[in-house]
Amino acid sequence: MVDLKMLAEAVIRGDAKECARLTQEGLDNGLSPQVLLNDGLMAGMAVIGERFKCNDIYVPEVLIAARAMKAGMVILRPKLAETGAKPVGKVVAGTVKGDLHDIGKNIVCMMLEGAGFQVTDLGNDVAPERFIQAIKEQEAQIVGMSALLTTTMLNMKGTIEALKAAGLREKVRVMVGGAPVTQRFAEEIGADGYAENAAVAVEKAKELLAVH
Amino acid sequence: MMMTHRERILAVLNHKEPDRLPLDLGSAIATTMTAKAHERMRAYLGLPSEPPPATFSRRSSTVIPDEAILRRFDVDARPLILGNPDGRPDREVSPDAFVDEWGVTWARPEGGHFISTDGPFYHQDEPTREDLEKFPWPDPADPGRYRGLRERAKELHEKTDYAVMLNLGVGPVHQCQFVRGYGEWLEDLLINRAFAEGLMDRVVEIWVEITDRALEEAGDSVDLVMYGDDVGTQKGLLLRPELYRQVIKPRHKRMADCVKRHGKPILYHSCGSVYALVPDLIEVGIDALNPIQVTAAEMDTRRLKREFGRDLIFWGGINTQRVLPLGTPEEVREEVMRRIEDLAEGGGYVLCAVHNIQPEVPPENVVTMYEAAQEYGR
Ligand code: B12
Repeated sequence: MVDLKMLAEAVIRGDAKECARLTQEGLDNGLSPQVLLNDGLMAGMAVIGERFKCNDIYVPEVLIAARAMKAGMVILRPKLAETGAKPVGKVVAGTVKGDLHDIGKNIVCMMLEGAGFQVTDLGNDVAPERFIQAIKEQEAQIVGMSALLTTTMLNMKGTIEALKAAGLREKVRVMVGGAPVTQRFAEEIGADGYAENAAVAVEKAKELLAVH
Repeated sequence: MMMTHRERILAVLNHKEPDRLPLDLGSAIATTMTAKAHERMRAYLGLPSEPPPATFSRRSSTVIPDEAILRRFDVDARPLILGNPDGRPDREVSPDAFVDEWGVTWARPEGGHFISTDGPFYHQDEPTREDLEKFPWPDPADPGRYRGLRERAKELHEKTDYAVMLNLGVGPVHQCQFVRGYGEWLEDLLINRAFAEGLMDRVVEIWVEITDRALEEAGDSVDLVMYGDDVGTQKGLLLRPELYRQVIKPRHKRMADCVKRHGKPILYHSCGSVYALVPDLIEVGIDALNPIQVTAAEMDTRRLKREFGRDLIFWGGINTQRVLPLGTPEEVREEVMRRIEDLAEGGGYVLCAVHNIQPEVPPENVVTMYEAAQEYGR
């Protein structure tokens, strides 16, 4: 069990090399990839999310933790595929059309991944058609949209309308966020969830899919 | 007693009561209008759509507003902007992308704003100080930057009574993010500190030399100097305050010291929630803070004035995340009254929107903002 705790701590410290080493060591010692993921990497990211939420750590610490987690994931991913492990849920995410701010969206994606979701990150300046195409391809259950500008946040509404027109609105849950976005705005445009930061985004995503 | 526009700004910078509240639009890189907003404003005011306005910043799709607009709002300051380097002008890659003198690629979505999408240190896993040695840095002495600067400044200073604002380049936080990648550089601060600091030093050296040269050329006609470096986000600081103090603050101090050697007041811009750093910024030597992003965490204007009003001038403050783009003219009026009440006592406030006026803002709201400011700012 000690190894798992060390692995989680390596994630929290943002020590990518150590993370990769401990993940490999865990596998070599016969730990299951699912256990290494849940009780090592994800446990570490859960702590990071909590700390970020209460301003105990800041963007740089989150970024290096996510980098460390990814170093472990690279090793685990093929093993997880072999065992046929299922992700907690499938998410397609992106910053909406006309908007290029991506730091917040990236962090949301990292946290979701760190919580066991399969995330397809479409990047920034994402047009409604691209969201739709990716949702179909990935059979996503959640679509996450980010907007940092009052100019572009209305494109969230446009995307929701496009989802309706494509007959997808009943099939995916819509989450929105970004600096100017509020709970009220989310409700006005008919989104299913809003989160003011990445840690809450994970809670929201789980809530929407009723997983715990 | 009636003051000239310049006297009004200088009074405020000296913490003295002006004859009326000073107003800004378009004197600084983050207090102007996007081209689209400007076009809408001209149409709304019944002004001719020609000639095309001068570009303020290509990267931000902003313009220097038409004099007719500035006079109508009785704006108190005007911008002075450096020229482009002769040696390395922007290299066009496509109608929607170019490479600047730092080797940074700027690209935009159709009709949108440019953003840095690639840079010289983007793709290295662990760049080193040696990589910095090898890099062909921009030339601070490039004459293109200063050509005609003295004449433009003098003209503004002698032929008009507006305060002249010299606009300088961004500070090390942004410039490093542009050449290295936004997230990558933040990671470097923690896991590749030697490179991150080395890069900052180069950026600051170049900045200081450009500033020295610009102020030697045009200093006599410059009333204040403006530059920015974003360290805030909606919810709080971008980075740990201790990390700011350790790594960034000494460099910000070097920049401020340079401006102070020329005896000029500093208007510093940082978006987002920066409450926690205000005492540090004052220590660094800034005189005025822009944009006072009132919708970000902890940016309560009343508290800011109470706690820091003795040492700090507030420049901005009109809510652009809700009121200006989405509010009614009545709400705009209330917003203007509130900020004046919170910030203007005893001088110390220059009113403008929190950031460049964005395309979707109804011109009516902008007009209401300036009219209300004239009315309540007596
Ligand atoms: C950094 C920054 C930039 C960088 C972006 C770099 C990058 N690669 O992202 C640069 C310098 C390029 C930039 C450019 C511009 N910017 Co800018 N920028 C910022 C700044 C300072 C911080 C944003 C940030 O990175 N925050 C850190 C992250 C971690 O926080 P976050 O994005 O809010 O995300 C968190 C939550 O919101 C949430 N979340 C985010 N997305 C999602 C999605 C989902 C689904 C969920 C559930 C949650 C969620 O979780 C995240 C993590 O906790 C903000 C200030 C601010 N108050 O936010 C201005 C700001 C957003 N920018 C602004 C402006 C005006 C611009 C420009 C238009 C400037 C100009 N040219 O005139 C351009 C536009 C470029 C474009 N087309 O998009 C304004 C917008 C004002 C408005 N009216 O809306 C702001 C608010 C600044 C201000 N003072 O007014 N900007």
